[in-house]
Amino acid sequence: MMAILVLAISALMLALSPISAYALDTAKCSARPNGSTGSEVYGGSETRLTWEGQAAADEAITGISITFPAGTTFGTDDAKLTALSGKDLMDRANIGASFSSDGETLIATFDEPVVAGSYIRLEVYEVIFPTTGGQMELHGTYTLADDTSIPVEDITPIEVEGVSVTSQITSSLEEQDWVKSWNSNKFLRLFFNPVIIIESFPIVFQGFLMAVGIVAVAFPVAIPLGLCLSLMRMARLRILRGLASIYVNVVRGTPLFLQIYIAFFGLPLAGIQIPSFPLGVVVLSMNSAAYLCEIFRAGIQSIPKGQTEASRSLGMNGFQTMVFVIIPQTIKRVIPTMTSEFILLYKDTSMLAAVGVMEVVMYAKTIVASTGSITPYIVAACFYLVITLPLAKLVGMLEARLDSGRSSRSKKKGKIDSSASSDENEIDVVGVYAASAGIPVRKAPAQDS
Amino acid sequence: MKMKKLGVIAAGALMAMSLGVFGCSSPASSSSASSSAAAETEEMVLLNDGELTIVSSPDYPPFENLVGDETVGFEVDLFQAVADKMGLTLNIVPLQFDAIIPAIAAGGQGDVGVSGFSVDPERAKEIDFTATYYVDDQAVAVMDDSPITEENAVEALNNPDVIIAVQTGTTGETFAQENFPNATIQGYGNSTDCFAAMQSGQASAVCTNLAVVADMTAEAYADARIVYRVATGEEYAAVVSQDNPALLEAVNNALAELEADGTIDELKAKWFNI
Repeated sequence: MMAILVLAISALMLALSPISAYALDTAKCSARPNGSTGSEVYGGSETRLTWEGQAAADEAITGISITFPAGTTFGTDDAKLTALSGKDLMDRANIGASFSSDGETLIATFDEPVVAGSYIRLEVYEVIFPTTGGQMELHGTYTLADDTSIPVEDITPIEVEGVSVTSQITSSLEEQDWVKSWNSNKFLRLFFNPVIIIESFPIVFQGFLMAVGIVAVAFPVAIPLGLCLSLMRMARLRILRGLASIYVNVVRGTPLFLQIYIAFFGLPLAGIQIPSFPLGVVVLSMNSAAYLCEIFRAGIQSIPKGQTEASRSLGMNGFQTMVFVIIPQTIKRVIPTMTSEFILLYKDTSMLAAVGVMEVVMYAKTIVASTGSITPYIVAACFYLVITLPLAKLVGMLEARLDSGRSSRSKKKGKIDSSASSDENEIDVVGVYAASAGIPVRKAPAQDS
Repeated sequence: MKMKKLGVIAAGALMAMSLGVFGCSSPASSSSASSSAAAETEEMVLLNDGELTIVSSPDYPPFENLVGDETVGFEVDLFQAVADKMGLTLNIVPLQFDAIIPAIAAGGQGDVGVSGFSVDPERAKEIDFTATYYVDDQAVAVMDDSPITEENAVEALNNPDVIIAVQTGTTGETFAQENFPNATIQGYGNSTDCFAAMQSGQASAVCTNLAVVADMTAEAYADARIVYRVATGEEYAAVVSQDNPALLEAVNNALAELEADGTIDELKAKWFNI
């Protein structure tokens, strides 16, 4: 890679020096990335080839031909020739030319010779490199007014990636009749295009790993933070109570979207540089801590006062009462609401897309932008559901187990916010909800994508 | 009797709505244009009768951006003039840039996508481009304190430590991917966010169209400078659904008239400082 870079730079240097040799020097030769993301050029799908070269000062060129490696196809309809001149080569002029092809070679014949010493750009569209990939060697020749034909020098080979498994599947899918008839329906094509489902799956999956990574770190961090905040909110010291309630009310009273913008664009301005993954984790866990604080506080306060009184009368101190008596009972009561919070947090990772964190929605967006189909968003939705649906189920099972440990008469059926069958538990859940409802009921702000 | 009638109307409206949602260009969901425009093109379909609805991402000064709650810019003025020529009132629907082409292709949100689109054969597979009305180039900007300079830009930008902020779905994104393959290309929703990210140090450079970079570095981000410019010669055009050739023709006719009477040149002089 470095070698190519060095070559490219030296080629550019050569090209920019006005008294270069008797030759048409390549300044640049590159192909446009044609994957759904990233800089790779893949074989088997369309790309655009851009070649730029500097003619020697005494050469008036009348034609250029580029020979592609065997197995490459290209189109001549959209091919374009431009002459660049002036400071920084910022002045453009179209070169009138006719294009023809003899299979492997694109031949451009200029309508009239270009000014000697021109800087020329050739763009060829619909170039499809062989599916095997590898270093693509291109060869060029150019023709002068007196019909002499001279090879173009220094064309750096283009690195082409072989076709991936997914694009093999997608190209075979594209051929199938049922796919064609499926896609002939506009609605099905836009929302459930099978080709794009296969194509976007591995890409969106990378975002899925990112989102799971973020939430897997952020949530465990948020739990102790939230617990501390809830204890502060119930502390005797007024200053602790005040601090915690200001924090909770500010965080719950502002949209997460705004908090993300402030953290990502504001903090660095204040001289605090944090890479986007840890910063995303910090913002989400700080946000979630405020909600968890209210959940914990409500949970703790829902434990009957008699429990505290009883343990204090047994000689336990405040700390022991909290750790050994109150919190163990609280855990069971807050698990349903905590899980809702986890699900919310996981869904909220999508908002990090706005600040360039490569998670599910971000990847889906880039594919939507390049394909014009809504299907990647549907794939993204599946990646959210794959976590949230089983989680709801799991919580139900956990609850049932916790429950059976204490009383056999109460059995819960698993749902995130299922109300319990026993009277006692009904009070818990209602109590937790009522107290944690607080001011703004949390909901994901509409994102503008 | 009355109830029955209401029911029929409601059912009709529901059907029309669902058709609109699925973007079928059926005559039930969209009414053909009336008056002057209808004279030359009979089957032109518009989202709303008598209105030219353009879909735009208003974060791309000087082409379109918000001042207060009003969308202003070169393309806004241009399509106001186009709408005037067609005898329609202009209606602007804001939408994020990378969602506009899918929205126009699917239909139901607007008639014309106007948001500094560069003509590109790849994009042309999904939508139709109108006649072009502006030609722009690519540019890369960095903050004043950046070690990247005009002399070393080509080399310094193509470096694994460099993060280039681009707007997703733009030609700037593919340009950066093609020409700086070693750098990290970071996508943002709009060009304002790209500059905000660079200013805050989340990215080391911004790559987008020259007119936008020139405008940004001249005004909002005076502490940034252009280090690399390439005359890619991208032609700007609006996008129209492929199912609506009559509208395309009407817009093209209007653009041709505006070009001929010098309106486009006047607007260019008004909005661009390059």
